[in-house]
Formats: sequence, structure tokens, C-alpha cells
Amino acid sequence: MTEPVIVSDPPSAGPVKHEDLKLLQEVILRTPGDPGLEMCIQCGTCGGSCPSASAMDHTPRAIFAMLRAGMREDVMKSNTPWMCVSCYYCTVRCPQEIHITDVMYTLKNMSLESKVGGNSTASDFSKTFISLVENYGRSFEIGLAGFHNVKHFITRLPSMTPMAIGMLTKKGMSPFPPKRIKGMDQLKKILKRAKELEAV
Amino acid sequence: MSAEEKKPKERVGVYVCHCGTNIAGVVNVGEVSKWASDNLSDEGVVVARDYKFMCSSLGQELIQKDIKEQKLTRVVVAACSPHLHEKTFRNACKGADLNPYLCELVSIREQDSWVHTDKIAATEKAKAIISGGVARVIHHEPLEPLHVPIHPATLIVGGGIAGIQAALEIADAGFPVYLVEREPSIGGHMAQFDKTFPTLDCSACILTPKMVDVGNHKNITMLTYSEVQKVDGYVGNFAVTIKKRARYIKTEDCTGCGICWEKCPKKVIDDHFEAGLGYRKAVYTPFPQAVPKYPVIDDINCTYFVKGTCKACEKFCPTNAIDFNQKDEILTVEVGNIILATGWDLFDARRVPNYGYGRLANVFTNMEFERLSNSAGPTGGNIVLRDGKTTPKSVGIVHCVGSRDKNYNNYCSAICCMQSLKFAHLVHEKTGATVYNFYIDIRTPAKAYDEFYQRIIEEGTLFVRGKVAEITDAARNPGEEGKLIVQVEDTLVGKQRRIPVDMVILSAGLEPRYDSKALAKTFGISCSADGWFIERHPKLDPVATMTEGVYIAGCVQGPKDIPASVVQGAAAAARILGKIQQKEIALEPVRATINEEQCSGCRICNTLCPFNAILFHEDRMVSEVNPALCQGCGTCVAACPAGAIAGTGFSNEQILSQIDGLLLLNLNKKEAVPAVLPQV
Repeated sequence: MTEPVIVSDPPSAGPVKHEDLKLLQEVILRTPGDPGLEMCIQCGTCGGSCPSASAMDHTPRAIFAMLRAGMREDVMKSNTPWMCVSCYYCTVRCPQEIHITDVMYTLKNMSLESKVGGNSTASDFSKTFISLVENYGRSFEIGLAGFHNVKHFITRLPSMTPMAIGMLTKKGMSPFPPKRIKGMDQLKKILKRAKELEAV
Repeated sequence: MSAEEKKPKERVGVYVCHCGTNIAGVVNVGEVSKWASDNLSDEGVVVARDYKFMCSSLGQELIQKDIKEQKLTRVVVAACSPHLHEKTFRNACKGADLNPYLCELVSIREQDSWVHTDKIAATEKAKAIISGGVARVIHHEPLEPLHVPIHPATLIVGGGIAGIQAALEIADAGFPVYLVEREPSIGGHMAQFDKTFPTLDCSACILTPKMVDVGNHKNITMLTYSEVQKVDGYVGNFAVTIKKRARYIKTEDCTGCGICWEKCPKKVIDDHFEAGLGYRKAVYTPFPQAVPKYPVIDDINCTYFVKGTCKACEKFCPTNAIDFNQKDEILTVEVGNIILATGWDLFDARRVPNYGYGRLANVFTNMEFERLSNSAGPTGGNIVLRDGKTTPKSVGIVHCVGSRDKNYNNYCSAICCMQSLKFAHLVHEKTGATVYNFYIDIRTPAKAYDEFYQRIIEEGTLFVRGKVAEITDAARNPGEEGKLIVQVEDTLVGKQRRIPVDMVILSAGLEPRYDSKALAKTFGISCSADGWFIERHPKLDPVATMTEGVYIAGCVQGPKDIPASVVQGAAAAARILGKIQQKEIALEPVRATINEEQCSGCRICNTLCPFNAILFHEDRMVSEVNPALCQGCGTCVAACPAGAIAGTGFSNEQILSQIDGLLLLNLNKKEAVPAVLPQV
């Protein structure tokens, strides 16, 4: 019998600090539409379906339980929403039709605003990505990987060389900044207006 | 208006119920009863009281005392819905020698306190509702119920365990039963099962004696391979049209020897009884202990019906019992009461694409597993993979497939937990395999059920709390090659797990029969949005329906296990035996009548009547209502362009006065002024 593969570390045990019973309601109110998050039955369909679960410190289901328990700081610190790749498996399969992916975006926003989450490397990765898109109108993978790792994980760089070479050769990615898209000025206006509307 | 005219003719008593805090928590009942006695005296109100529980015997005595002492001629009770206590208060009035139809129950609970939070507005609304009731009750007439005889026979539709139980109870009491079953044999789903939880006795061993009893009972007429087409009539006197499909077997000659199906050259995949795992012949009985013992010829697959030659069965039949010229028969039977026990269909597991049923060979449904494990099944009781020979070394059992899931069915199928635990035991016992049970919650609430759960834990079943996300054959890690991988979050650990197994069993849920909505229409009852039939009261009257004389038993009412189905079968039988013993039934005198002088003979009402209660007299060119068939629904009353039809208990005068009362027009006000709603 093959042992089942366990793919990430368990969350730390210990008493829950700072019970904040308004937290769940706050997340629900900040999510566009009605995410139905209060209906979670903790079945784990989301965590079982998630392709990024192995990189998350808590499964989405565990995050929802933590929201109920009012563990604001732990949720804001968690890398879970930042690992979400918006594949929507969880949302499609959720037996309670909870808009899980939407909730992940809310948690990213709340995390950025919070002291503990705003300075994390995970949120900074997202910020770097957005700044590149705002600059070029498209993504720039090698630049993103380079900037991020030089800024936060400089000691890791040697071990990442093979991956960098792979990106350049097999994947055919350019090491040079991409060409800006046509109509950058229009994109900037659109993004500016979007920021005004959503007040983020 | 002169003072003379204003003097009320009737003496009305108004009774406002607190219903504990159900009403009194929102409506100021004291204020309402005082308002009624102060403001409705011109309408005839001579006494108005409020009381904690009007339906209690003390509350009823209060009304009866007033009827006698205050010489009341009308009673208005403001309490719950007439559904609940109309009978109670009518009987109370009857007990005090007041005609029960001179009592009006108005709802200030369902229509007021339960649906409002604004206490002041709710109190004003209660006043208006009572004012309407008083205005209406003045125009009530004393009525007498209609008495009709009850036919002693009962129709039971569905020969599963619920229908069998009901049939035996009624037949043993000495009354005739017609048991209609769509399949060639009675027995239902229970005949397919291997073991039954929690005692693990063999399903067939406990079911077949009952089936034989049904077959031999002198009071039971079995109509297998038959379906109900039409139901006419009403409680006590139904006329039911039944289509008896051609078996192509002369049952009076057939001995059930089995030579025909032995010789029949045509093999057909048995996707019904054997859940697609086995074969049957074109002439067959579904299983060896079938009741009745006579086979049927399946005319869609029989070589003779397809190609015009063969007749092997006819050549070999020792009693010449084969008759290829038999035709479907249409029968009409008269019965007094009906029980619907038509059961359930299995949720189609193909609808959950991430579980791979139908695509991954070794993913099985619960019904397939029952047949695999059954010693009378296609593998002789060996639990093997789809190749027919390999014994699995590890098995995953998935709970809640298609149940408790808004993408499929939102309800709990009630039997899957216990069934999955039973499967875990059978796999352990027969194969020694490692067994995983993947569950969201374990629900084992009945007698000896949780003890069974503990026994299964003790046997070494590995329980994983998490709804399975997907089942795949795409190996990602070492040890997964050639296996089915169950990917799930183990929610008690907080980790995603990928568990490789040889076999997966899906505990697919229970669904209403695919044709349940059509069946409900045939019998004039209602079903929920899901398709389960609706009982008269979910707690206090679970086997009756809103249609008098039509009862429901077993899974047709909602998912339930064998013990609960048996209980309902017996309960429905007891209800009907009680009715039969009364020999006649009192029908509500709420009926429509047609004023022949006003009737223009347009016949609009004839086709609208849902109970076919309106006759048309060609000679006089007028319509007439048959009071025994009329259910007092009022459709014709509303439809008649000449206003020639009046509904007893729902006359224009009564309805219009009630509306005036609701708008407080009866309080000497000139214009319509709604109840004053204060600013909040």
C-alpha cells in the first residue's frame, strides 16, 4: 500500500488569539455580489480541487474556518490568496455555490491594507507584476522573476539558474523588456478609471 | 342609513389567540381584543377576548361557555391558519350546539405575526383581519356535511417494500387490495440489495417471505407489468384505469418452470435489476424469487418481435403457455382509497464528471456494488474489478454523490452514510482490502446505527473527512501508476491528499422517479420542487396528502431507509383501515351550485373544472354541478361570465363583505381607508 502523499506542513496548533467575530461579515461585505461564504459546510471540495494547495500554508477551507474564528492576523499573513491562480475549480465544484475565487481577491485586498500582509513577499510579487503590466501593457516573466528574486531572495539566485536558462531556451522567452503595446495611454486611462471606481 | 337598519342581527364572539409568543410576541393581542369589542359592536360583536392558547381545552371551553351564556350566533377566532385548527374550533362550536360553519378562523399568525417585525403595524393588521372575519361570518349559513359511502377496496401503486407492507396490512384486516407494479415482479429496490444495515441480514431472506405472502393472499390482486393511466372520482369512490402490458405468457398455463428463458437465444444486458453488470434473456423473470413467478417477453429485444422468426420459447414450453398475440389490456377498478409507494430512482453519477463514472472502468455505483456483493448477482458475490477477476486491494467509498450539493441535489439522501458503512464492512469481510470512506458528515441517527458506525471504525476502515474533489487515473507521484487516485482535502489534517486505490464506489443519492411530476398530476397531489410528494403535514400527518383518500408511503415522500419505509407503509394502511371502518365519509359541504335560470349554457365551466364535476344537460342547455365530485375549489364560480355559479361558503356576499371589513369600510366610514400605519 502506497502511503498517501502529504504535500505541505500542518498549521501550528495553539489557542486562537484575537477573536474578531466581525471578520467573516467584513469579508462578505467587501466581496462584490453575494459570495455566500457564510454557507460553507467545511467539506474541503475547494482544498481538494486546488492545484496550488501544495504551495499554500492553509487550504481555502481552512482559511474560511479561520475567518469564522476571527483569526484576522493569521488570515492576513497567510499566503493562500496569493497562491490562487484563479482557475475557478473550487468555485465550479463548491456544493454550496460559494464564490471562492472572488473571496480570494477580497482577501488579497484586505491583506495589502493590513500591516502584517502588506509587507509580505507574496503581496510584493503581485505589486511587481502589476507595475510591469502598467508599464508595458503586457506581462514580462523574466523581468518579474528577476526583480522579485533580486529584491527578496538574493541568496536563492544561484540555485535558480537552471530554471532561468530553461525559460530563455526551451520556452523562448526574451531577456529584454517587451515592446509596449499600442495605445499605452489608453490603457493607463482605463486602469486609472478602474482604480477610481473600485477605490483600491 | 337609519338606526333601525344598523342594528346588528347576529351576536358575534371574537377570540384572539396569543399562541404563546407566536402571535403575542408581535401583535398586541390585548389591544386587538379591546379594539374589537369597542369598535365592532355595531357589527354585532358582543364579546371579545384574548387567551394564551385558544386551541387548548380551556380555550375551547371559553368559547363554548360564551356561546351558551351570551347566546352567540357567530364566532370569529383569530389565531393560526385554518389548515391547522379550523376543525378544532368548528368542533368546539358544534359541541355548544352552534352549527360549525358559523365559525370563521382568521389567520393572524401565518399572515401576520410570523411575517412582520413591526409590532404596531402588525397589531393594526390584526384588527383589519378580524374586522374582515366579522363582516364575513355574518353572512355565513348553517351547513351540513355530505355523507358518501367508502368503497372497501384500496389501490396501492408500487410493489416495493412500502407498498408490500401496506398491502399486507390492509389485506390481513380483511379488505381487498389492488397492488399495481410497473416491473414484471414486485420487490422493488430491496430485492436488489445484498445485506441490510445495521443488522446485516440478507435483504432477499427478509423480503421474499413477504413477497410470497402478497402473491398468495386471497385479498390481494397483483397487477404486475402494469401502470395506472387515469384516476377519476373522489375519496371513497375512485375509478382507476390501469394498463396491463402484454406479457405474452398465458399465466393460467405457465408453471414458472424456466425452460423458456433457458432456451431463449437472445441475451440482453440487464441494466435494470443487475444494474448493467449482468445479462438476462429476452424472456425473463427479473430474479429467481420473482413474484409472480411468470416471466415476460421483452418485445423490444425478442428475436421473434424484431425479425419475425425464432419462437424457441414457444417450441420448448411444456404447457403451451407462450402467446405472441397477447395485447395490452385496459382495466378499470373501483377503490375507496389510494396509496402511492412508487419509490425512487438512483442519481446518475455520470452527472459528476470529476468522479469519472462511465469513463474510469473501476468506478462503480452503489447499485452496481450491491449486485457485485450479492451472492445471487452476476459474480456470485465476488467483489472484483470491472475485468471480472481481479480482487481489489484498496477501495475508496465516496459519500454524498449528487446529494448535499447545490450543483445537483441540495438534500441529504439519508441512506448513504449507513449504506457506505455497510459497503466498508462487506469489502473488509470479503476481500480484506484497505477501505477508505470519504465523508462530509457521518449521519447515523436511528436505533443501533451509531453502534454500527463504531463497529466499522473498529474493523479498521480509514475515515477521511472531506468531499472528494476528483477521481483520476493520471498518475503524478510514485505508486499512483495503474491506480485510481482519489484527490481530496483531508479536512481534519488541513492537507490535500491523493490516495491511490483499485476500486471506487460512489454512494449516489436518491432522486424522485423520473416521471413523478406526471404521476402527481394523475393522482391530483402536489410534489415539491425536487419532485418528492408533499405530505399533508411534515410532522403530524406524514402519510396523507392534501387530496382526501390519496396517501403516500416510502421514498416517494422523500429519501428514507427500509425501516422508515415499512413504518410509512403500515401507517398509510392504518389510516385507510380507519376510514374503511367508518363505512362512510363526511365531505366538506363547500360546493358550487349553478342557478339554472341564470346559466346561459356557454359550457366554459365544463372544461375548466379540475374534478370533472360539471354535467351539461343538452335538453335544457344548462350545466349542473355534481356535489359528490365537486371539491369546492371555486374555479367555475370565478369563470362564469353570467355570475350564475355560487360557491357554498364562498358567496359573493361573503367575499365582498370580508373585503369591506378588511378595509374597515364597515366602520361607518365613507371611503376606503386602509389600516393606519404609523410612522416608524
